Amino acid sequence: MFDDLKPEALRYVGKSEKKVDDTEKLTGEAVYVSDMKFPGMLYAQVKKSPHARARIRNIDSGKAQAIPGVRAVITGEELAYRLGLYVVDKYILARGEVRHYGEAVAAVAADTPEIARAAVEAITVDYEELPPVLHHMDALKPDAPLVHPDLGSYSYVAAAFTPKPGSNIANHTKLRKGDVDKGFAESAWIIEREYSCPSVQHVPMETHVAIVKWSSGDKVSIWTSAQSPFTVRNLFCHAFSLPHNNVRVIIPYVGGGFGGKAGIGVEPLCAVLSRKAGGRPVKFQASREEEFSLLPCRSALTYRIRTGISSEGKILAQHMTMYWDSGAYADYAVNVTRASGYSASGPYEIPNAWIDAYTIYTNKPFGTAYRGFGHVEFHWAIERHMELLALAIGMDPLEFRRKNALRPGSRTLTGEELTEHSGSVLKCIDTVAAAISYGKITKEEAGREKRTGWKIGKGIAALQKAPAMPPFTATAVIIKMNEDGSVTVNLALTDLGQGTYTSIRQIVAERLGFVLEKVKISFDCDTEKDPYDWQTVASKGLFLSGNAAIIAAEDLLKKAYAVAAEVLHVGLRDLGHDGDKVFLRHHPARSISFSSMAVGYMMPNGNGIGGPLIGVGKYIAQGLTNLNKETGEGHPALNWTFGAHGMVVEANLETGEYRVLRIASAFDVGKAVNPELVRGQAIGGMMQGLGTAMCEGYIYDKEGRLLNPSFTDNKIPTAKDLPLEVECFVVETAQIDGPYGARGVGEHSMISVAAALGNALRKATGAEILHMPIRFEDVWRALRNKKPIDNWITKSPLGSCRSVKDIPSVAD
Amino acid sequence: MMKIKVTVNGLEYERDVAEHRTLLHFIRDDLGLSGTKEGCGMGECGACTVFLNGKVVNACLVLAAEADGASIETIEGQAGSFGLSDIQKAFEKNHAVQCGFCTPGMVMSVKELLRHNGKPTPEAIKEAIEGNFCRCTGYTQIIEAVLDLTGQGDLKGELKHV
Amino acid sequence: MLYEFRYRAPKTASEMIRLLDDHRDDGKILAGGTDLLPNIRDGNIRPAVVIDAKKIQSADSIAWSASEGLVMGNAVTINDVLRCREARELFPVLCDCARQLASHQIRNRATVAGNVVNASPCADMAPALLCLDAFAVLESASGTRQVPFSEFFTGVKHTVLKAGEFLEKIIIPASAAGARGYYLKLKRIAGHDLGIIGVLMVRRNNGIRFGVSSAAPTPVLVDGMLDKDGVDAAIVKVLAAIKPIDDIRASGEYRAFMASTYIRRLWQEIK
Repeated sequence: MFDDLKPEALRYVGKSEKKVDDTEKLTGEAVYVSDMKFPGMLYAQVKKSPHARARIRNIDSGKAQAIPGVRAVITGEELAYRLGLYVVDKYILARGEVRHYGEAVAAVAADTPEIARAAVEAITVDYEELPPVLHHMDALKPDAPLVHPDLGSYSYVAAAFTPKPGSNIANHTKLRKGDVDKGFAESAWIIEREYSCPSVQHVPMETHVAIVKWSSGDKVSIWTSAQSPFTVRNLFCHAFSLPHNNVRVIIPYVGGGFGGKAGIGVEPLCAVLSRKAGGRPVKFQASREEEFSLLPCRSALTYRIRTGISSEGKILAQHMTMYWDSGAYADYAVNVTRASGYSASGPYEIPNAWIDAYTIYTNKPFGTAYRGFGHVEFHWAIERHMELLALAIGMDPLEFRRKNALRPGSRTLTGEELTEHSGSVLKCIDTVAAAISYGKITKEEAGREKRTGWKIGKGIAALQKAPAMPPFTATAVIIKMNEDGSVTVNLALTDLGQGTYTSIRQIVAERLGFVLEKVKISFDCDTEKDPYDWQTVASKGLFLSGNAAIIAAEDLLKKAYAVAAEVLHVGLRDLGHDGDKVFLRHHPARSISFSSMAVGYMMPNGNGIGGPLIGVGKYIAQGLTNLNKETGEGHPALNWTFGAHGMVVEANLETGEYRVLRIASAFDVGKAVNPELVRGQAIGGMMQGLGTAMCEGYIYDKEGRLLNPSFTDNKIPTAKDLPLEVECFVVETAQIDGPYGARGVGEHSMISVAAALGNALRKATGAEILHMPIRFEDVWRALRNKKPIDNWITKSPLGSCRSVKDIPSVAD
Repeated sequence: MMKIKVTVNGLEYERDVAEHRTLLHFIRDDLGLSGTKEGCGMGECGACTVFLNGKVVNACLVLAAEADGASIETIEGQAGSFGLSDIQKAFEKNHAVQCGFCTPGMVMSVKELLRHNGKPTPEAIKEAIEGNFCRCTGYTQIIEAVLDLTGQGDLKGELKHV
Repeated sequence: MLYEFRYRAPKTASEMIRLLDDHRDDGKILAGGTDLLPNIRDGNIRPAVVIDAKKIQSADSIAWSASEGLVMGNAVTINDVLRCREARELFPVLCDCARQLASHQIRNRATVAGNVVNASPCADMAPALLCLDAFAVLESASGTRQVPFSEFFTGVKHTVLKAGEFLEKIIIPASAAGARGYYLKLKRIAGHDLGIIGVLMVRRNNGIRFGVSSAAPTPVLVDGMLDKDGVDAAIVKVLAAIKPIDDIRASGEYRAFMASTYIRRLWQEIK
């Protein structure tokens, strides 16, 4: 919903207004679920599997039951409920077989956390260890053990996914565009490589936590640190066959999510314990260690890409095979595969494309959504690949990207034609290239090289992402006028700190023409009081809820005008308004205040008209379609947000040590509704991306036990790890159907950071690194042609590189 | 169990505590001051940073029993009757808060820094908050809040429009 | 959430000795708590009694005298060292190591004594104490003994401390004052982290010595080198003394390589 307004005409949109939730968070007043306590509340703890795969022969919980203060002990045998967003494949507690290290097999609710822990320790489980399948490439072998032998009986969203019963493939997404055989035949070069990245953890500072009270009459109340109240409710009701109006989900302040708190999490576990404990509320909070192995992570990926290129450097054909390691469950991971499948080439035009994307079960902690929804992982591959392609054919990587970048008139992999309103990846690339003085070493940098003895290198990586969501995704916003003419806004999109509420407030104030102080966004989300929103995911919040907010504001004004027209005895078209009143435009003195109409207008004789003023706005994604399951054709994208990073690193050629000196990032956001919030997303995501690029990742032993489920050995970046200089740019190619032209940018900053680092490091050192993370030792090994370290996070066979002609020597 | 007496944000409390109770759980659960957060329980993340006798510590690595007789300061003691403290105001002005879970601990670490250093360099600020993980902000706007507060607002960055 | 224990806070050394004697098998000394409490939380150790060393008078005292040297009670924290003027001026390498230990909050709490008693291979204070000829004063019911740090560590998480014995203070002899050097510590990130490898080089009275962390079951001291021996000989000697292993932080191969690289860098920089 874009009006071609000049920035000067906007009062709030485009301004860095303060965040709506700062005071509460800065004073410690903001109450998170971890802070909540209820009368009679019990504390839950879970018994976890020490094995990656084992048959549960017997669980003896007799001793645990006998401990005073234990109110409920529960095992999987009692819980025949299956859960899942897209593929319904997960029990609340393991039944019959454990499928990953750290999986919950039994749970206890007790008066205190200490008693619950003692009870869990008193439970003994008799396991028969089974050979696990750990690497996703091994899981594809014909003799691999099946993680889900009953896959054929699971329900799933058939319009979008294709499980392969009898195998470990939870989903196979296909895309076929043009004629790849012809494209390869016409190519001057054909180059194939393989890239990989490990599972990583979201690391929200507040771990998963929920409190659930299962009351009489199967009325269930859920307080949870989650991203999406309505999806929690919907999946919960499906699992337990409860009417939706029996279940209430409340989400207060949330200490970070990053996708890990999308879908459903620990709520069902608390619910069954509460039910068994006679309806007392039960709280479960994951420990930091449990956050790594009981709760989901991001899937690992092996990505094989074969590309055919014309003699002029234009990509003619690309064959892409993604192997996604979903771990033991794929309920959400299948959609990561699907969304990555239709975006798999990154922001480049591929006339002939062939994509197979597989979600593969293994006996490891399971994958879910994570900021970027697959795009961080596959852009690592694609943007390293683009770099290596350019070098192999003797082109500058920047020029090669420019030549193949999507632009107006290009067709995406699914056949969507981009227009001049779709956003510009070229502008983003050019912006960051200029910002880092790409392609040259400045005088200052040369001086630094001399001083330090370290080499400076510069790299660029571009990116794209569209929201991954059902084609009919919808939301609603309600604006209620208060007695004094101020308004309170209700919506079930959650604000996890990203600041969408602040932007929505600016949009509502802008559209109503009210001062900002008159607009309040109600903070806690409550499925019984807020209107529907699908999920807070996918960078779709500002777009969908922003549009719904505009419609709600217009609805509120329309209703106020109707009352005013009646009171003032004038036609609607002659009315105008300001922040306080509705007036006759020709005679502004004839007016009626909003406050006098807010809850019903009283005529001089006491008669009432109107009634409480409530604006309702709903918005549903427009024109999206399911994709053809054989060809991938269709319209999956609400909008494409494009971007690019330029990175400057310095590296020690002898030791592999390196430091990020500078990063410049640019995104085509359409309209920066709140520039400082955009910047917060840009830098926050960049640092999260840098963490996964440099040091994060799950490491398993050969039995599938996670070796680093803690901050001691899964480091995340600290303030000291910031690049010395960080620059953020926005391009503003207005999105015609976005609120004030805006499109989402919550995830994009994390995408392609790793590839920019890989590209810059290659330039600085010559090290060709095809796996993440890039630790100093990895650079050192690459420089000395040593084999990567043999653990799960570096297990990547090197790619092959062949040419139908002689590859020119790399003049670099 | 043992009896301890502590001063928290200027108020005296006398309580019986289990001897293995951490200062963090004492503050949060026994005193009901839930502004101090728990992020790991291992002293790695700094979400539980409070002042103990004038120095910042990870409250998850201190026993309540050890704090007998001590003076403690938490996030709840920062804003006065005239509103937010200067540090809090600087965080607000500079968009240094996202999910807010690290914020209370972060404010404590910044306060300790500014007690010893009235004009810290960006490096000194990074050093001071190194023990406070933030997964949302990428730290930059937090560092800028401190720079702004100490008269170095010219070092702040901004979003550039192409 | 910690496992249950009783807390005792002796006010005198003799009370401490008595308590330790009573709890030879089930007692643990609490200094900064930054290692002990995470270990209790994880259930790695389950002491029945935790004995706080910090309430003993002068346990937190750090004092310099030309006769005794730098004397640090067992409750002296890492930041106490950094705040001590004499420590900064006379023992800069001690402070180098201290600055590289964990985060500011931890340094406010973690003690020098705890760092060495914990006897982790990656103890950051150990290289300095080794290179500065520091010794530990150990107390028990059977008396006092002094053990130089070169003899203090006996294995991963093991020291010469006997049941019922505690480290009362650490003394760096005055003769080590003024020793010059620097500690290079390789980490996975720039922020606080355990070391992949740490090398301290110290020059004293024309002699050169190295303290190495994260490279063997215990922190390692390699001494008796002279300028004229040359850096290559020094590298050979240090590599012969360490036994770096493969773990999730790095391979032994890389650790050995970085140890030699650091020795070379330090050799050049510390004149």
